[in-house]
Amino acid sequence: MRDLGTMLRKEMLETWRTYRFLILAVVFLIFALMSPLFAKLTPTIMKMSFGSTLALKMPQPTSADSWTQFYKNMSQLGIFVVAIMFSGTMSQELSKGTLVNLVTKGLARWTVVVSKYLALLGQWLVITGTSFLVTWGYTAYYFPDTKSPHPGAGLIPLLLFGAFFLAVILCGSTLARNSYGGLLFTAIVVALLFVVNVFKKAHDYNPVSLISDNMALVAGTKSLTDLAPAMIIVGAAAFLLLAWAVVLLNRRKL
Amino acid sequence: MNNNVDVLMDNLPIFIPLILLELALMITALVHVLRHPHYRFGNKILWVVVVVVFQIIGPIVYFVFGRGDDSRA
Repeated sequence: MRDLGTMLRKEMLETWRTYRFLILAVVFLIFALMSPLFAKLTPTIMKMSFGSTLALKMPQPTSADSWTQFYKNMSQLGIFVVAIMFSGTMSQELSKGTLVNLVTKGLARWTVVVSKYLALLGQWLVITGTSFLVTWGYTAYYFPDTKSPHPGAGLIPLLLFGAFFLAVILCGSTLARNSYGGLLFTAIVVALLFVVNVFKKAHDYNPVSLISDNMALVAGTKSLTDLAPAMIIVGAAAFLLLAWAVVLLNRRKL
Repeated sequence: MNNNVDVLMDNLPIFIPLILLELALMITALVHVLRHPHYRFGNKILWVVVVVVFQIIGPIVYFVFGRGDDSRA
């Protein structure tokens, strides 16, 4: 257990010194600021580019537009940036041989996987949570309407999907020889999930629903319990992926 | 264009933090480019231009792809 704490500290220090945390935090905060801004400016932009005749037909922007932007940014660009940042987390250590000393001195290999996952998860929760609060604040300030009664309901599935996604990244990173291999693994998994998304019956079971149904949850037209199957699947999948990563690392020559 | 100024003033509470974040990212990357003269590819002038000209994207590209290995520097 003491090893886990030490490794966790090492991971935190690493993410700070490699600027990964800083970049993610800044990018996510920019997304959080852009969402209400873009919602607010859309009519102005339309007016400037198409003249005022079309702009008259544009409905006034609401809080729903702001949240739509936020969840679109997070689920498309945000997750993409996370994947790029963290795809080398294990493969870099394996290719540089930085784990050799630690493991030969008696560090259990599962500790490496678990500490890396906890560090990633912690960063994800802090950064996404903070940007959510920022968007919430600005949305409440600029759009004081009742179009989005449950802003928090959309966040929970997003956070859960992130927990699953980080497990995919870590597993891919352990599997691959370099960070691009890990990125490829992650891309293949996400692509498969989107293929499954074609089948309507699997909708409530598909992890992708956790990042595509957020607006329905925010607006209150769908309830969190509808997505319970997907949430359970995501939790189980994350656990299995981590277990697989431990097995992979145990067999891997350092 | 008086209209543009109005838009800017209306949204100042968003624009100020947005600009500060972009500047913070740019300055961090710029300091790193100047203090670590070893890159995976490209040279100092290229990376300074990339970091300063391309807001947000430039610094990210530098830290992800251009930053050299500190242990070898």
